[in-house]
This record gives sequence, structure tokens and C-alpha cells, in this order.
Amino acid sequence: MRRLAALSVANLKSFVRDRAALFWTLAFPVVFVILFGTIFSGSGAQYNLAWVDQDGSQTSTQLRDAFAGNAPVDLTDATLEEAKAKMQSGDVDGILVIPRGLQAVIDGVGAGQHPDPIDVTVITDPSRSNTALAIQQIATGLVMAANLRLSGAAPLLTVLSEQLQTNQLNAVSFFVPSILAMALMQLGVFASIPLVQQREKLILKRLNATPLPRWAFVGSNVAVRLVIAAVQTALILGIGVVVLGVQLQGNPLLIGGFVLLGALTFTSIGYVIASFARTEEAANGITSVVQFPLMFLSGIFFPLEVLPPYLKTVATFMPLTYLGDALRQTMVGGAPFVPLSVDFAVLGGWLLVTLAISARFFRWQ
Amino acid sequence: MLGRARVDAVIEVDDVRKAYGDVKAVDGVSFQVAKGEIFGLLGPNGAGKTTTMEMIEGLHAPDSGELRVLGMDVRRFASQIKSRIGVQLQTAALYPQLTVTELLDLFASFFGRRPATERLLQDLELTEKRNARTKTLSGGQQQRLSVALALVNDPEVVFLDEPTTGLDPAARQGLWGVIRRMQGEGRTILMTTHYMEEAEALCDRLAIMDHGRILDSGTVDELIGRRFRERGVRFGRAGAPEEEKLKALPAVSRVVYEADEVVLYTGDVSATIAALLELTSRARTEPANLMIRRASLEDVFLELTGRALRD
Repeated sequence: MRRLAALSVANLKSFVRDRAALFWTLAFPVVFVILFGTIFSGSGAQYNLAWVDQDGSQTSTQLRDAFAGNAPVDLTDATLEEAKAKMQSGDVDGILVIPRGLQAVIDGVGAGQHPDPIDVTVITDPSRSNTALAIQQIATGLVMAANLRLSGAAPLLTVLSEQLQTNQLNAVSFFVPSILAMALMQLGVFASIPLVQQREKLILKRLNATPLPRWAFVGSNVAVRLVIAAVQTALILGIGVVVLGVQLQGNPLLIGGFVLLGALTFTSIGYVIASFARTEEAANGITSVVQFPLMFLSGIFFPLEVLPPYLKTVATFMPLTYLGDALRQTMVGGAPFVPLSVDFAVLGGWLLVTLAISARFFRWQ
Repeated sequence: MLGRARVDAVIEVDDVRKAYGDVKAVDGVSFQVAKGEIFGLLGPNGAGKTTTMEMIEGLHAPDSGELRVLGMDVRRFASQIKSRIGVQLQTAALYPQLTVTELLDLFASFFGRRPATERLLQDLELTEKRNARTKTLSGGQQQRLSVALALVNDPEVVFLDEPTTGLDPAARQGLWGVIRRMQGEGRTILMTTHYMEEAEALCDRLAIMDHGRILDSGTVDELIGRRFRERGVRFGRAGAPEEEKLKALPAVSRVVYEADEVVLYTGDVSATIAALLELTSRARTEPANLMIRRASLEDVFLELTGRALRD
């Protein structure tokens, strides 16, 4: 055990001191998460609206706060003229006008009267029909929510605002477990490259000339991969939760279990690559050839349902499909592609088969 | 045969063979190394030296033949043997990101030992570099480090594979000193080399290998004496006495004319030279660039293989 610990520490030091490797392993997934997170939350989900408050009352302020807090909008206060100028120059996507007399209507309702409805005006740009439609829907949602609230049907208001939020987060929520699955896959298959390097540089042979048992060598390499996997997981999830507002749910043990299983399975695939690659160049080549189909044919970046049938068939053979599925199910309550027990069985099966292959074919020199 | 093994033999190699496909890398090699000896395997690249050595270290299994180290069968007691031997391979670039001290401590941990790091650093003149990453070391320092790594477990037998290849003459001399010190500490050393002068300077006994076979073995004097009893007396050809007179000099067996020199092969150097000087002084000249040359390992190798070692 002491040998295992000493070698693990040495491997970890080597890894941390190799700045390039450190960057690619830790910074890359982080950059990826932030980049994609920004793209997803920026793609039509966030609108700049001018907020023209002609009432200037307590109710209109409350309405503004509720709207800004619950809808995917950035509000800019302006007069109607200013707002139109901003829209002309493209600074805002649309205008909401809260008319004078809103407070009076509310007060009237409170006093048991039945005042005439009052118009909230939405100004949109018909040349940008998607945006216009979305803003109209958002504004309608706002007005309906306000109506329901004022008539005392508070629960319905909650449902409506949560729908807005879920729609916005879905892409990111889908994405964060996928990035994690991808990072674990890459970490694992890239384990092949240092192994082949160490064999080429006769380091494996040199170690073999000491009483160090082989299990300790393999064990320390796997241990280091797992430590890195844990750091990656923490980073990716941390950014997902803190920066992108993903809400994690589910059993942390179950999540951790699948992260561990995924890291082990793909590391084992890395050992299979190292078993057949004789040179570092070959290892690089094979790793890319393994990595890219896994990445793009595994339904980690697109829901499997939207893939054409033949790609979906391909995806059902990819181990990464099941890791992504399991992580989505356990972390953000994603809709299951298969039950968790099947994810577990498929990943476990890949692990056992690849272990058997590398045990049979791995060469030390 | 093992039955006739010397009592103090630390390494016993008996009729060992190893083929890679059609290539017979090692083709029936036998030798023994006594305790405290420096034994050298001398030969060109591809002669089978490294393969032979690595089979003894337990890194490759032989196709046939018997291998014993410290009295134990290499295949059956591999891990016991590994803990009592030190191995230096033709590679030093291990864990480039670790420092010298960290690497020594790491290797010591493989043997479950508390490392004698200070002493190793001192013995191999690496103290100044103790905190340097190993990737920053010069070729000579890396080579010394790989020898230091071979000593972390205070081994009884040390295997050195071309330990001075690529070193400048000063660094080579330094490492020779280290190897002699190992011997002084009672260790047995098996080394390979393709440097004649290294074999001559260091090895108590050596085996000359080519094409997977041992062509001859013994001490340097034995190897030379077995085929070259005579010395060569050579001097400038210009103004030399005529051939008839040279052939008549005492103890001279042959006279050979080379490009600029004459070589007299003689069984008695002093008698030949005395007579030669008498001859030239009578002619009021003297032999130019007079030189006595005894045969070297180089000549032995040439004689055994029909080619020079350093082509």
C-alpha cells in the first residue's frame, strides 16, 4: 500500500507540474461549460426590453420586479420616446408600456368595484418575427400572471413563472451532465497516451525490474485518474450550479457512483488502446478515432430523440450514451433513455470486457 | 553445466537461447560471474548483450537454458531476486517532472526501504542537483542518476547496460570511479559495453559477443595472450635497413611493410630492439618513431569476428 501511495503521489506531482496537461484536463472542460452555457442562455432566451412605466405606482414597481425576476428579460427604464429611439438603434428588442391608471384599477378592484380593463402595450419588431413572438408571449404571460394574481389565484401564477424558468434552463441542464460525461470519457481514453509514452521510454520496463507489483502500478495510475476526475467533476458541477444556475437534485452517492463507474470504464478503454498502440503517435491516432464518434454519436450533446434513426441505433452501442443518460437522470432529473439499472449494466459490462482485453493484451515492454 | 558451478558464482548462465521470430538474439550463451567480480559483455550493437542481461534480470523469459542469480532460479524467484539486484537500463528519462531526490525516494519505496538518498547523491555527485527536475539534467547527470537508482536498494548484484554511452571522456572516467567503488563495497557487477578501453580498464573478466554467441571469454590478458604472444615493434619505413637484415634480427618471426612503417613481430622485444639499434647505429641512423605495441582487445575482436568493433 505504501508503494501504491508513493507512486500515486509521484504520478500526481508529475501531472500537476506538467502545465500543458493540467490546462487541457482541467481548464478545457471549464471553458467548454462556460462557452456552451453562454451560447445556450444567449440563444433567444434573454431579451432586452424597454420598460415604460407611465403609472409610476407601487403596483407598477411590484410588477416590474416580478417580471424582471421571473422572465428571461433585461429591463431598461425609459420614456416611450426614449424607448422607441433605443429600439430603432437596436439597443432593445421590444417595449412594454404600463399605462397610467394601473394603480387606480387595482385600487378599484380592492374596493369591490369592476373597473374596465386597462391595456398593457407591447411594441415588437415584425421584421424579427421570432423575437417578436417570444416577447409577445412573455408579455402575455406577464399580463395573465398579473390577472390571476389580482383575482386571487396565486398557485397558477407560480406554475406559469416556473414554466418560463424551466424552458430557459433545460438546454443548460441537459448540457452540464453531458460535459461531465464527455470530460470523464476524455480523461479515461487519454490515459492511453502516458502509458504508451512510459512504455516507449522504457519506464515500464525499468519499473518491472523492481519488486513493484504490477497491480500497484496500474492501481496508482487509476487512482490518479480518479483524483483528476473528482476535481473535474467538482469544477464542472460548481460552474454549472454557480454560474449557470443549474439545480442539482438527486442522490449524491448515486451521482458519485456513476461518475466513478464512468471514469473506470473509460480509463479501462484507455488501457485497451494502450494495449494495441505501439507508439505514441499511434496512441494519439487511435484515441482520436475512438473519441470523436463517442463524442458526437452518443447523444450527449443532442437528445437521442432528435437523432435520425440510424444514428440513434449507433448511439445505443456507445458506452458514453449510457453515462450521459445516467448522469442526466441522477443530477437534473432528465428523462430516462433507459432505466438507471440498464445504464449501470451497460457501463459495467464495458468495464469488464475492456479489463479482460487489456489484461490479455497489455504489454509492459 | 550447473553441476560444475563455482561455489561463489553469483550469476550462472547455462546454454540460454532466445529468438525473436527468425532472429536468434541469444544463441546458446553460457558464463558465470563470481562474487565481487566486474564482468563485462563486450560486443557491437545487436550482438545480444542487452537481451542476455535482461533475461538475467528477469525482464524476458529465455526460450531455453538455465539462469540463476544469487543461487536462485530467475523464473521461479523473480521478485526475491529483484529486491536484491540493482538494474540500470539504457534509459534515464524517468518521470521528467520529478526532482532527483523525489525520484530516488520513489524508487526506494518500491523496495520498501528508507532511502540512503544523501549518500547516493554524494557518491554520484548529484548533491547540487538534488532539487532539480530530472528533465533539466545533462546527459552525464542523467546517466549518474540512473546508476544511483540502481543502487537505492543496496543491491548485491548490479547490472549496468552501457553505462557510459554518450558521455564525454571526463564524465566517463568519473563513472568508472563509481563502478570501481561499487566493487570495493563488495558488489558483483555485470555490465555491457562496446568500448574496448572501458572493458580493459574496468572488467576483471569479459565475454566477447557477436551474433548472439560468446566467441571467447576470460581476463583481458588471457584473451590477448591466447592468440597474440608476440609484440609488434614498429618504426618509420624511410631509411630502414633492408628486409633481409631485419628478418635476421633475433626473435623476429615476420616483417610486415605497411604504408609508412615497418612492423617486426617478435617474441622477445628487448633482444630485437637491442639488435635493431646496433644495426642502425652502424649505418649512422636511428629508427624513426620507434614504438612497441602489444596486441589489444581490438586486435582480439578483429581476429575473432573478422571486422573492427567500431564500424
